[in-house]
Amino acid sequence: MGVVRRVVRIVGWTSIVAGLLILGFVAQQLFVTTWFAQQNQEALVQEAETRFQEAEITEVEYTPPAPSSTTTPGVGTTLPPGEVVPGAGGSGNDPGAPLVPKKRTILVESTPEKGTAFAIIRIPTIDRLKDGWTVVEGVSIRDLKNGAGHMPRTPLPGQPGNAVISGHRTTYGAPFHELDTLNPGDIIEVETALGTHTYAVRETIIVRPTELWVTEPRDGAWLTLTTCHPKYSARQRLIVFAELIDGPNWEAIYA
Amino acid sequence: MKNWFISLPGPMAAKVVIAVIVVIIGLIALFFVYDWIGTNLLDTGGTIG
Repeated sequence: MGVVRRVVRIVGWTSIVAGLLILGFVAQQLFVTTWFAQQNQEALVQEAETRFQEAEITEVEYTPPAPSSTTTPGVGTTLPPGEVVPGAGGSGNDPGAPLVPKKRTILVESTPEKGTAFAIIRIPTIDRLKDGWTVVEGVSIRDLKNGAGHMPRTPLPGQPGNAVISGHRTTYGAPFHELDTLNPGDIIEVETALGTHTYAVRETIIVRPTELWVTEPRDGAWLTLTTCHPKYSARQRLIVFAELIDGPNWEAIYA
Repeated sequence: MKNWFISLPGPMAAKVVIAVIVVIIGLIALFFVYDWIGTNLLDTGGTIG
């Protein structure tokens, strides 16, 4: 009888301790990390707003890709190779001359230092992101604990190409918790030192975490948001592709 | 637990101080363990690659 009682006591205490450890884990992940992230947000918003005033902005020449490469800017229809897009360029009036896209000027801001806040992302259809969440430069574990993170080898938001921003889904403030509710046409705004860049959601997909192709350059100006999927798991990635529809560089890139 | 506390060195005040320090260190270690599990298994931040 003494042995049985001893075993029951050990099993009971082990269960209580295990339960407390699990409860502690859930509380730490859901509440403590979010508290830290929210504390950081106040300072990061200040940092981003300071950068909006102080970032170096320059004009650089931008040559859009040849129109035969993929799509008609702003329309999204695929053209056959060699098709001439009216107003997209060309040399002189010779219809047989090779197509040379016009050079245009776009605004470029200085590259932010790693770990610093340089942008604010707003998604009006998502409550958590209505008022904005800061975007920091870099996607290291430390960077992403502070805010959403911009992948350094991709262009900054508002620039031609594919700007990639990653964010937590369930912890550290979970800025991208409701990213799966976005529908094609929903608006995403990213404020940077150049102004506000407005994107429209085009597509949402789910991929494996190793599928790097989602970060590859694209014609036009795109924003790609990435987060963990499903919620409370890092098994897959939810990807949102959005295309620039307005902003300081829109006309130069798409007109 | 009671036996562990009694076995701590020094007078009662020293035992209390040592126990508090050990508990704080344990909680901090637990925090880092939780954080590691969370950022590696639960939510990595959604990075690709």
